Amino acid sequence: MALWFWRGVRRGIVTTRYPARADGSAATLPTPPAFDASQLTPELVQQMIDICPSRALELAEGQLVLDLGRCTACQRCLEVAGPAGHPSQQFELAAHDLGQLRLCFPLEGPK
Amino acid sequence: MNVLESAAPNSRPVPVRWSQNPKADSVSSEVARVSAELRETISRLFGRSLHIRTIDTGSCASCESEIRLLTAPHYDLHRLGLFFTPAPRHADCLLVTGPGALAMDHALQATYEAMPDPKIVVTVGACALGGVFVPDRFTHDGVGRLLPIDVVIPGCPPSPLALLQGLLVGVDRLHASINPDRFRFSGASRP
Repeated sequence: MALWFWRGVRRGIVTTRYPARADGSAATLPTPPAFDASQLTPELVQQMIDICPSRALELAEGQLVLDLGRCTACQRCLEVAGPAGHPSQQFELAAHDLGQLRLCFPLEGPK
Repeated sequence: MNVLESAAPNSRPVPVRWSQNPKADSVSSEVARVSAELRETISRLFGRSLHIRTIDTGSCASCESEIRLLTAPHYDLHRLGLFFTPAPRHADCLLVTGPGALAMDHALQATYEAMPDPKIVVTVGACALGGVFVPDRFTHDGVGRLLPIDVVIPGCPPSPLALLQGLLVGVDRLHASINPDRFRFSGASRP
């Protein structure tokens, strides 16, 4: 049999080993944002809340609350946030109820 | 409102706040024992296999596109004992996408009631979790008020890997990962 066949079989794309092992393609997925609390100011947070198209961000009790259930990972808030935010690289977000998906970021930015 | 009042999640017992409970330690050990038994029962009932019925309540079809990818050779969900079934009578798991269009209320209720017990409901995507749509004359804001939800899978759309993780959470294979500390978002805490 032709050598190219065996080479193809050996190097071919195989079924992912997830969840037993991590999948390499996970790094390329769009993921919800994470914020650096030390750079969050009320003005910046208000801009991010205004631009969020899916009502995933809100200001509650002086903290930025990110609802991962509502987030569509469009990353518009990251364009506004600049260095204060980055993609979280977390895609394993399934939970048992929506309350587990609400994350709080305190505003500890420069006054 | 013509929704599934009988299946409203409000009928579930309110969770106890352990920190306010003087017998917190003994109660939480009791809960751990009961949850271990429950886990064993679920594992026995479902045989660590799951037959899935999908229902689209007004989704844009990108969630369906990702769900369909699960049967592709790369993801191959059959290796994990997960199967799609064309009839709710054969299903253990209802995979709901879309924000809950009012026109689908009856179909959603009929599908849920046609499924034999025990059953789990998994909602997929940001609009099913109340993100994208606001309630109006045509749609609800997610299916959380229509059915008792067991697992939520966020994403718009969730990738096949995220769907796999959610379904495995559904069959309790990844029960160890259901804990609030597993989100490693720097600087974030829970309300």
